[in-house]
Amino acid sequence: MTRTWLVPLFGLLLGSPAFSQGPGERVPSVTVAPVSKVQVKAGNPASVEIDFRIGSEFHINSNKPRSELLIPTVLTLKAAEPVSLVAVKYPAGQDVTFPFAPNEELSVYSGDFTITATVRASAKAVPGDYPVTGAIRFQACDRSACYPPRSTPVKFTVTVVGR
Amino acid sequence: MKRNALLFAALLIAILGMLGAGKFLNRVRQHSPTKMVGDVRGLAAPNFELATLDGRRVKLSDYRGKAVLLNFWATWCSPCKVEMPWFVELQKKYGNDGLVILGIAMDDSDAPKIAQFASEMGVNYPVLLGTDQVSEQYGNVEFLPTSFYIDRDGKIVGKGTGLLARSEIEDNVRKALASPIAGMNRAQTSSAAQTTQPAAQ
Repeated sequence: MTRTWLVPLFGLLLGSPAFSQGPGERVPSVTVAPVSKVQVKAGNPASVEIDFRIGSEFHINSNKPRSELLIPTVLTLKAAEPVSLVAVKYPAGQDVTFPFAPNEELSVYSGDFTITATVRASAKAVPGDYPVTGAIRFQACDRSACYPPRSTPVKFTVTVVGR
Repeated sequence: MKRNALLFAALLIAILGMLGAGKFLNRVRQHSPTKMVGDVRGLAAPNFELATLDGRRVKLSDYRGKAVLLNFWATWCSPCKVEMPWFVELQKKYGNDGLVILGIAMDDSDAPKIAQFASEMGVNYPVLLGTDQVSEQYGNVEFLPTSFYIDRDGKIVGKGTGLLARSEIEDNVRKALASPIAGMNRAQTSSAAQTTQPAAQ
């Protein structure tokens, strides 16, 4: 049996109002990949790589945008005692020009990027799991418009083991 | 054969579901308090009162009789910066015909920083400090730049989201200028435009 009747049906389906999206109705997103297990010995530091993915067609400012007016991407983390946050290292942005400003180079992230956090367990830390929570704040644009700053929550667990 | 029938039934249910969802969404849109979503042409521009950069209060209704280009922007919006010199030119070109451009800054920054930026961009039209309330009144402006083109009678004649071509912006400005005030002829409209208080920054 021929299935030519499927073609108009799919057409109807895709043309239905629930599928239609006008300009400006897409929402920029930055998603966080699950962080792999972080283990640290009491008294020592450990590096944590946190992977992010930016929604296709969008870019966000890097941590060091080229103008003070632009809103940088910032990862804020809070660690619970006896774990502390030592440093957050951001990747360098890509220098890009866009059709809307061909003479202005912007420092941005697009696609996937990784931020490295360094945590430390105090020397007297009792072995166990300790949560680290926070958020990445970003301001996204596409090729013709920009969106207000948004935040995505970030969390992972640091497991302190004995020396 | 039986499989085809099942497939057909599943697709039919999916289509009916989508159509139902579409109708529901439309109903939600129609019942939103401002109805400022979708095609807003022909709707009355919601009135608002906002502070200027120097602390005065300005209402949209102060500009009745003028064509208004209401531009939502922010200092962190690079495409917005592209439009601003065009707006400066359009304000010079059509100001005497009754065009008023109002920039609504949707920044979290304080007024002096916005004023400095506007000054560096050579902005020659009033800049107002935007609020969440005015954003909601205009359909939750989340996408910058967004501009509304309002005729002399306070009706929206065009909307632009994202960076538009300069020619497209100018076409919308002409449309806003072209509509006479209800009950007035063209000469009276021009006279009304001349006597309406111009905005100072």
